[in-house]
Amino acid sequence: MTMDRMLTLGTRGALAVVLVVVALMPVLCTTFFTSQVGLTSLWLGLVAVSLTFLSGYGGMVSLAQTALFGVAGLIAARLSVESGWDPWAAALAGILAATAVGLLFGAVASGSQGIYFLIITLAFAQVTYFYFAAVPTFGAHEGINGVRPPAVLGDPVQDPARMYWFLLVVSVLAFLGLRHVSRTAFGLALQGVRDDPVRMAALGYNVRLHRTLGFTLAAPVAGAAGVLSAWSNTRMSAGSISLAIAILVLTTAVIGGLNRLEGAWVGALIYTLCDTYLRGWTDRFTTWLGVVFLVIVLVSPGGVVGLLGSATSWLHSRLRGGAPPPAAPSTPAPPVPVSSGGAR
Amino acid sequence: MTGAATAPVLRVRGLTRRFGGVVAVADVDLDIAPGERRAVLGPNGAGKSTLFNLIAGADTPTSGSIELFGADVTRLGARQRARLGLSRTFQTSRLLTGLTVEDNLYLAAVGVSGGRLRLLRTARDRTAREQARATAESVGMTDRLATLAGDLSHGEQRQLEIGLALVAEPRMLLLDEPAAGLSRSERQLLTALLLSLDRDVTLLLIEHDMDVALTVAERVTMMHDGVVIVEGTPAEIRGDQRVHDLYLGKAHV
Ligand SMILES: Nc1ncnc2c1ncn2[C@@H]1O[C@H](COP(=O)(O)OP(=O)(O)O)[C@@H](O)[C@H]1O
Ligand SMILES: [Mg+2]
Repeated sequence: MTMDRMLTLGTRGALAVVLVVVALMPVLCTTFFTSQVGLTSLWLGLVAVSLTFLSGYGGMVSLAQTALFGVAGLIAARLSVESGWDPWAAALAGILAATAVGLLFGAVASGSQGIYFLIITLAFAQVTYFYFAAVPTFGAHEGINGVRPPAVLGDPVQDPARMYWFLLVVSVLAFLGLRHVSRTAFGLALQGVRDDPVRMAALGYNVRLHRTLGFTLAAPVAGAAGVLSAWSNTRMSAGSISLAIAILVLTTAVIGGLNRLEGAWVGALIYTLCDTYLRGWTDRFTTWLGVVFLVIVLVSPGGVVGLLGSATSWLHSRLRGGAPPPAAPSTPAPPVPVSSGGAR
Repeated sequence: MTGAATAPVLRVRGLTRRFGGVVAVADVDLDIAPGERRAVLGPNGAGKSTLFNLIAGADTPTSGSIELFGADVTRLGARQRARLGLSRTFQTSRLLTGLTVEDNLYLAAVGVSGGRLRLLRTARDRTAREQARATAESVGMTDRLATLAGDLSHGEQRQLEIGLALVAEPRMLLLDEPAAGLSRSERQLLTALLLSLDRDVTLLLIEHDMDVALTVAERVTMMHDGVVIVEGTPAEIRGDQRVHDLYLGKAHV
């Protein structure tokens, strides 16, 4: 018992240390690291979590999240740089536009499942990419440069601390928001639709509506990531939402683990670290990244987060002295409250 | 509903469903009275499950019509029929395997009571949770509330399958081989559960197990090759030569 308790405390302690390091990164790490690794991991994690949510809770593996990311990012960039909008207002407009496009994409794609859903969202990604690459309003291939984030957030390259904390707060809010949704009637029903649409229809649910709204709900998350990416890099172009990036977001989410929301940021951090430090060591960077991806997918379908979970429980059972893990104590069912009105 | 106390809750006319060359259900007429307990028997491939899918709206008939609770529902989808008070179980369990037993039952309660798109927890959730736990108790799953449906044993999955159909207090219940794969004692529990159902509920039951079917049912419809061949009381069915030749004589699966 005390051993268990110590282990639980140990796990909690390790988690607390990680959280403290993450929260204090601008103080503990160099400006380069905070800007290059910190900011990138956070916005990449944010767009990836929109996919993790759709895939993990809705069974919808979407390649269109970068398209929504681009809609918000490019519209916000365009409005603030060319039309002189206040950055916050431009961001809001961009995110609303991404949500509207998400509703449209979701309404169309919600009729399909599995590989067909993937292909339809791939088409959305491509159409959006070619649109932005062609239209001069959005800078065509050049994109929009000189995007200035709100003044309070400071300069993302010279002094990224405030920008970093802002992205961190947005990420935490997105995580908590999506986790909250997953526990509501809507979110549980979305998981029901993921598990068995035929059963859900027999229970009285409109499966297609649920899928559409789930897709719509993830859109502002991807959109916010787009805006934050434009702010962090002070630029955005069609190249930021190419097919390669769409696949990168999918890879990130899978590496982290599609079963857990936090996996998105873990995957993003791993990718960003590899991108920052491995790319210089080898000119076969992409190949190596592919190998890492393959190994993770083969070893742990739950990604790195799943792997950490299994490792922790393995450690627990080993340290308990090899005794087989006791069956989880069956929690007594909470008594059914006797209500005056709703008694059956 | 004008005075006619025996107006059927379910009226099926000329129902036909073709799959390519196979006529799975052929010109079936069926009337089920309120509160009736009806068993549908017949060898494998007789078209029983297809008939259920058509009644529940999971499948669309090639021709024919279906009236439920006095309204024509032929063109309505499964979800609208569920909201009218029709519940069904599936021959092979269809559970929400990634969710707990309690969440399965909770979603079944919410599906019919409304608030399916709610993003906030409200008092209605408490009611739905209470319904879920009460149903878990009536199907004997109180100690499994926190277990993932995908982790249940076969027998428990069948119990939950019935629980999902019962939570929303349906007016009509379609059970497709609920006893399939259950042990002897589980079958007895199932029979007791079905006998204890409220008389307000109309029950339509497909069942191979004669002990269960003929104990629970007051009337029996016998199908073969998509066609209804006999309809009668359990005693009449037991005495019918065609039924014997087709079904009772053979060792059933
Ligand atoms: N989805 C389907 N596609 C093609 N044929 C089907 C389908 N569903 C049922 N059938 C056929 O319809 C007939 C009746 O099947 P079913 O209704 O499952 O019978 P039962 O439930 O009485 O065993 C069988 O010949 C079966 O092969
Ligand atoms: Mg069948």
